[in-house]
Amino acid sequence: MRTHYRTYLVMAVLVVAALVLTACPAQQPAAPAEPQVVEVTRIVEGTPEVVVVTATPEPGMMEEEKVTVNYNWGTEPPTADPALATDTTSSALIGSIFMGLTDLDDETQEAVPALATSWESNEDKTVWTFKLRDDIPWVVYNPATGETEVVTDDEGNPRMVNAHDVVYGVKRTLDPNTASDYAYILYYIAGGEELNNADPAAENFQELYDATGVEALDDYTVQFTLKVPASFFPQIASMSQTFPMPQWVIEEKGDRWIEPGFIATNGPYVMTEWIHGDHLTLEKNENWPLWGTDYAPSNIERLEGVMIEEVSTAFALYESNELDTSGVPLEQIDRVKADPVLSQEFVNAPINCTYYYGFIMEKAPTNDVRVRKALSAGIDRKTLVEQVTKGGQIPANTFTNPLNFGSPAGDPEVAPWALPEDMGGTGYAAAVEMGKGLLEEAGFPNGSGLDVLLMHNVSEGHARIAQAVQAMWQSAYPEMNVTIETQEWRVYLKTIDKDSPLEDQPNVFRLGWCADYPHANNWVHEVFNTNAGANRVRMSEDDPQVGELVKEFNETTVKAQVASEEDAKALYKRAEQLLVDEIVAIAPIYYYTTVNVTKPWLQRTYDPIKLHLYKWQLDWEAKKAAMQ
Amino acid sequence: MTASASPVAQKAIEAAKRGRSPLADTFRQFRKNRVAMLSTVFLILLVLVAVFTDTFVFTLFTGEKPEPLLAPYHYSEANFIYVNAPPMTRTDDGQLYLLGTDYLGRDILSRTLYGTRISLAVAFVAATVSLIIGLIYGLISGYSRPAIDNLMMRTVDFLYGFPIIIFIILMQVYFKSLSRRGEGGLADVLINIDKAMGGMFFLFIAIGMLNWLGMARIARGQTLSYKQKEFVEAARSVGATNLRIMGKHLLPNILGPCIVAETLAIPGYIFLEAFLSFIGLGVNPPTPSWGLMISEAYPALRTYPHQLFVPAIALTLTTLAFNFMGDGLRDAFDPRLRGEG
Repeated sequence: MRTHYRTYLVMAVLVVAALVLTACPAQQPAAPAEPQVVEVTRIVEGTPEVVVVTATPEPGMMEEEKVTVNYNWGTEPPTADPALATDTTSSALIGSIFMGLTDLDDETQEAVPALATSWESNEDKTVWTFKLRDDIPWVVYNPATGETEVVTDDEGNPRMVNAHDVVYGVKRTLDPNTASDYAYILYYIAGGEELNNADPAAENFQELYDATGVEALDDYTVQFTLKVPASFFPQIASMSQTFPMPQWVIEEKGDRWIEPGFIATNGPYVMTEWIHGDHLTLEKNENWPLWGTDYAPSNIERLEGVMIEEVSTAFALYESNELDTSGVPLEQIDRVKADPVLSQEFVNAPINCTYYYGFIMEKAPTNDVRVRKALSAGIDRKTLVEQVTKGGQIPANTFTNPLNFGSPAGDPEVAPWALPEDMGGTGYAAAVEMGKGLLEEAGFPNGSGLDVLLMHNVSEGHARIAQAVQAMWQSAYPEMNVTIETQEWRVYLKTIDKDSPLEDQPNVFRLGWCADYPHANNWVHEVFNTNAGANRVRMSEDDPQVGELVKEFNETTVKAQVASEEDAKALYKRAEQLLVDEIVAIAPIYYYTTVNVTKPWLQRTYDPIKLHLYKWQLDWEAKKAAMQ
Repeated sequence: MTASASPVAQKAIEAAKRGRSPLADTFRQFRKNRVAMLSTVFLILLVLVAVFTDTFVFTLFTGEKPEPLLAPYHYSEANFIYVNAPPMTRTDDGQLYLLGTDYLGRDILSRTLYGTRISLAVAFVAATVSLIIGLIYGLISGYSRPAIDNLMMRTVDFLYGFPIIIFIILMQVYFKSLSRRGEGGLADVLINIDKAMGGMFFLFIAIGMLNWLGMARIARGQTLSYKQKEFVEAARSVGATNLRIMGKHLLPNILGPCIVAETLAIPGYIFLEAFLSFIGLGVNPPTPSWGLMISEAYPALRTYPHQLFVPAIALTLTTLAFNFMGDGLRDAFDPRLRGEG
């Protein structure tokens, strides 16, 4: 037996020695970086080929260093195609490399001029005419020379972005061949819905295509004819689905047109490198005429964006000066707030998104409105945002985020039980009492016999919120049983789709919604109107309990589209009352905030929807000094 | 006569000569190994903790809800006023959080104690499942004709080549969708067992069903080395059936090494469970498992290190204890070490 102990002793000594020895070289000065040759596949005009580039900067390159911001995209952007973008990462990328008709003001969220210098509508807001700038060229980045080149026409003149490009872009989004998930946002355009739902092989397809209500009156004037009056149309015109698109590139390159080297863009930045899943680099488009104006005051010449999904990893990079701005992981917020340096860099900005739990209204037991209301009331929103999420989020009693026109957020006349007492509501204790009563009525006294499946997509943050809600439900209704399941995002989206089999679906699912344009119509109508939206909650006018209310809801959101501003506000309020308090299709939880840290040398905007990189400022000298 | 006796019988004869039973002899050998003894005591304590963490054993047949017994609180009891509390926190109304609380204000001590159940259950259930399957499979394979033996072993080789984690993940996904659909019949019974166990049941099945391969090889090897021995010949010559030879003469002889191998495999199962929980395929929240607790706590390592260290230390100590005990058992079962030390 003794030999054994001797072996252990020897091994222990070896381990310690190994630790000590490996620790030593760290104190020696690092060897000068030798340029390493790596092979990178880059898409160069034509076919992909292997280009040998040097990974470490050569001395000569230091002279032409560029003011660079180090950014984290957060994930691989699913697309750079303006017609296909549905997520915030893609939208941030597209908003930096393209320029749309209008833009949204950081503060007021109103439409401001961008590619369009002015616009007007007819009396009843069904015909909108946009006047376009004539000095924005299409550019293509050439990876072989590293230059951004202006696209020229047959005669060698710069090819400017014109009204035909906008018309093409809009029609391309609506074209069923494009299969844009967001095409419905353009259904306001006359003939848009018909075109999008048409069969591309049908004989009248070209007719429908031509009949769509968008046309170029001249080279720099574009006119939209709408199906219904829409006072919010200039805000829709800020969305990437209406952006001008380079027809010749798309038709030549097909799906690969979005790769650097192929893609023609008209925005402040060009995409110079996109290594999928790793990083995406943007560089200033020197041919863009608006640099230095109030619209684009930025001095940033380059954005190096990594794609790190784990917030804690990104935050660690931020702390080691490898990122200039980053999110803050939930569990580090306390430390950040207590830290003398980090607390100065901490910014808590509202963004135009709402976090909510949706109820599948066809699946027992959430097919009972009383159960749904009891569950919604059983969430202590104030405690959740203060003790669990901790990012300065605001407890929500409506679906529409307060940053939108027509949002009754915080109005105690909408679901007062969801609001804490200091916000004018009835508070959590009263809400639970109400919930208990409702459950008793529904045949689940104290939650006994109530078995609920809660599902969320994989993420640290969602898991915490789900477990907190689970604990809240189980302390409010002690006998009930809550099961939590997680799925990967793509699988998850399929599971909660309204066409997926009911037996695969949970009772409660989590989702967030971010505004495409800041108007309540984008929320209650486009998400939940059973005729317009994705309707993941499976709301139906035939529902035995709330069918009438669903009908009223659908009519209300449609009526609000044509009503005057004052009437529209009242109608949206009624719609929220129906959605949250009477039908209880969802349980709104909180209005998002971004919890960010930004280095003192970077001045950035916190637009609720857009990235607006061209409005940021970077103190390059300070950054370099800090990097030393 | 001694020459043809099986090792077990031989041991019995030797032990009888010295006036001790063979089991006592083994135990005496085992007791001499202090680390192994200490580990065993630790594991026995752990079993007691797992059983008496709450009043589960007393309410098993009364249908009442179990109350915490050894653990100060129920594992899902969240105190949102005291989230991320440091160790030794006393609340205003006099409750004590000895090891602090996690991000939802749940007592870490209680969760760690409840977590003992998962780890030990996985250790015993998965080990038993894999021991039974592996032993029988290996015994049959080793005792059968070479053609059948070959076929059975190549099957094992084939399964060895299969990425086990992916298989477990697939099984977990399948079982979870099964439980979501709520089908009737046998599936329903299994699902209810799984729910009652906090999602552990299918995990055990998945782990046990895939870890018998090594056991099968050991059992086969042992069987091969014994089946040509004289005592088997003797048994056959007096007309014993194959079944009797396998059950009565071979099994007792190969059991020792197999149990030892299984004991040494247990830390692997515990780690596998921790890993699966870590990536979200293990137990259903809020059921605590050490792996799940570690996965929840590791991002906050810099802010609240105690949330990570408590379950991590528990996991380390338990796996170490199983390793040392397995070591001790191997030494004790091995007759070659007899008489030394």
